[in-house]
Amino acid sequence: MASRLAKRLGGLVIVMFIVAAIVFFLTRLAPGDPAALMLGDQATADDIARLRTTYGLDRPLFIQFGLWLAEVVKGNLGHSIFLQRPVTQALLERAEPTFFLALFALAFATLIGIPCGIASAVWRGRLVDQILSAIAMLSASIPSFWLGLLFIQFFAVRLGWLPVAGYGDPGAPLAERLAHLILPATVLGIVNSALIVRFTRASMLDVLGEDFIRTARAKGISERRVVLRHAFGNALVPIVTVVGLTGALLIGGAIVTETVFGLPGIGNLIVSSVLRRDYPVIQGALIVVAGIYVIINIAVDLIYALVDPRVRT
Amino acid sequence: MTISGITLPFDRRTFFKLGGGAAALTLLPDGLVHAAGGTSANLAMVGEPQSLDPMASTADLIGTIMQHVYETLYTFDANWALRPMLAADMPTISADGKLYTIAIRPDAVLHNGRKLDAEDVVISLKRWIELTPRGKSVGTTVDAITAKGAATVEIALKAVNPSLLSHLALPSGMAAIMAKETIANPLTEFVGTGPYRFVERKPDQYTLLVRHDGYVGRTEAPSGYAGKREARLTELRFIPVPNANTRVEGVIAGQYQFSDQLPVESMKKVSGASGIQPILTMPYGFPYVVTNTKQGPMANLGVRKAFQLALSEADMLLAAFGDEKFFATSAEHFPKGSPFYSDAGASSYNKADAAAAKKLLAEAKYDNTPIRILNSKQYEFHNRMALVMAENLKEAGFNATLDVVDWATLIQRRGDAALWDVYVTHSAFLPEPMLSPPQLSDGAPGWWKTPAKDAALAAFNGETDAAKRGALWGKVQQVVSDEVPYIRVGNFAALSGATGKMKGYKPMPWPAFWNVDLG
Repeated sequence: MASRLAKRLGGLVIVMFIVAAIVFFLTRLAPGDPAALMLGDQATADDIARLRTTYGLDRPLFIQFGLWLAEVVKGNLGHSIFLQRPVTQALLERAEPTFFLALFALAFATLIGIPCGIASAVWRGRLVDQILSAIAMLSASIPSFWLGLLFIQFFAVRLGWLPVAGYGDPGAPLAERLAHLILPATVLGIVNSALIVRFTRASMLDVLGEDFIRTARAKGISERRVVLRHAFGNALVPIVTVVGLTGALLIGGAIVTETVFGLPGIGNLIVSSVLRRDYPVIQGALIVVAGIYVIINIAVDLIYALVDPRVRT
Repeated sequence: MTISGITLPFDRRTFFKLGGGAAALTLLPDGLVHAAGGTSANLAMVGEPQSLDPMASTADLIGTIMQHVYETLYTFDANWALRPMLAADMPTISADGKLYTIAIRPDAVLHNGRKLDAEDVVISLKRWIELTPRGKSVGTTVDAITAKGAATVEIALKAVNPSLLSHLALPSGMAAIMAKETIANPLTEFVGTGPYRFVERKPDQYTLLVRHDGYVGRTEAPSGYAGKREARLTELRFIPVPNANTRVEGVIAGQYQFSDQLPVESMKKVSGASGIQPILTMPYGFPYVVTNTKQGPMANLGVRKAFQLALSEADMLLAAFGDEKFFATSAEHFPKGSPFYSDAGASSYNKADAAAAKKLLAEAKYDNTPIRILNSKQYEFHNRMALVMAENLKEAGFNATLDVVDWATLIQRRGDAALWDVYVTHSAFLPEPMLSPPQLSDGAPGWWKTPAKDAALAAFNGETDAAKRGALWGKVQQVVSDEVPYIRVGNFAALSGATGKMKGYKPMPWPAFWNVDLG
């Protein structure tokens, strides 16, 4: 187990270096100039050149990359051109809504997705299965921005139950801030539950066809116990994978949902930073997101070993 | 509680306790927070300001927010006439037009409690000249800015500059008067004399301003940006809401008391919503199309004249804004009533004459080189105008291609003459000709520089008599029409939405929330 972990952590360093290089050079290859955007329409070429020099954007790309990488290794993700603050601070300020949004959405998706997937597998081909499969297909096909606007229109505007957007007034208590997450988390949960339903159903069907399930039934074990304990326990590996990866994607920022609901989260920050060409923030945010994604992948690998003894060998 | 005819076994209050905690009740439905002795307003803006330093950029959003914190020496009234703000009165100008003596209002108080003095003004104006594009252009004509005692400032010019006071009055790229002890680069403290003081900025979440209790304003009746300013709202929260639909739904639901720049398509929805007032600001701005006079086919004047003849500005505006409530065709740069009103050049506007354009193209020996129309979908109306423009041009025999990019790319590419032939942009309506578009100055993308331009602008900028300047502007407008460095497509309105409880708000290009209350 320890050597498995060490090997995975070694891989993490290589992956992160590759990610850093790709993020840096792709960002710079895109046209656009943060200095020109900052200064506005009336700026002259001299003004723009001066600001580029201030931020070191006039230096050769490889030197910029080397300097940035050296700072990243020291834990310094740089300084935002647009926000005028360290990138780490900008990310930390946005971590709370993104974290709770991911948590609630994942909880919602899992609580809906796993029972529906199990029911769909147990009643395979029956009306329940057809209805649940159709709903799952529909959920996967609905664009989250459209569903978000629909929910805003109905729950926030028509019924007036929940806030339209944002993350609470200045100084709002945590409960008020979290109330702003109910609608976006529900939207994200619905959209992401479809994948969990499909994976749970497929995995359960595989396991329910195994000999040991037939044996369990032959031994007179109740169907409830067969399904929930014997089948579900053995179907967990792919379900853990899909739940883990969904969680990783959500922590990286539910870009569209955060934008529609005006949540000041990491996804929103990435979108705004791309439009502003705020290179340090784009690079820093993507490095952190990639890091989280890789770490969750490693965690999922380790969970495999816990839920399936065959993987430990 | 009943929803759509279905009765639920709990009331609305219970639902909230179950769903979002009792605290969620504070969000309902009006979203107003009544602080002790006042009211707060959530103001949904189109995005996050680049900076809060009003001299760091000419972006309108910075001006909109920071005009509540900082004030200028002069400002504009409802008829776009110049009026004093921090200056006690209009300046005394020497006979040769080169020395402006400005008395500072003795009662103006900074947010830190100190009285404003002439040193604050001098240091602020010097920073403005050093940092901002507009200030730099004014700076070329300034010899010295000096304090004469505690309450008088003198601006000595090397050459007459009749647009000086307009530059000092504009909210964008603002010549903001700051407390001298806070002036730094970058600015970290925002201390001015405005009716609101800065409290906190949480990027992408809000910028919070609160009432400046020690504010001493002017006493004249309010008019436009001029006259008495009273902070009736306790707090102003400028909230970035980049998604236009969210701004619409937010104001209808009552979460925002004001939503800026709504899509014109939402007019019906906003008008039909109960308790919401649609606000139309007309003219808000003007779209214009810049031609590349330096390189490529458009450098040929004959091709530019054919381009001008081919366009149907009316169709472009209709495609862009959909309803005549939101636009007006107008060859004139300034409306009737303005000292700069002139119909010079109107005969070449909105011709849509493909046959005549084709003939001109042949005479200009146009060789079918593609005309690249650089435009951005980030401003939908730019892209829609570009689509119509391309069809107009094709009909006239141009080989027109659309180069659709994001705004950041457009801003960068337009700086390189090799990358475009025409680009689409817009400007806020500004009351002084030399404030916009930037192509009237030298060096702006398009690189228009001809003897006729220089002569017309030299005459215009050398004249200090307001009445004579009006006539001279007509000559500049004629040169613009003759040489086609840009085509002003027309005027457009901005749609905003506010709660019906909002009283005292006056539609202006940079929305201002002093003298405003929420009933």
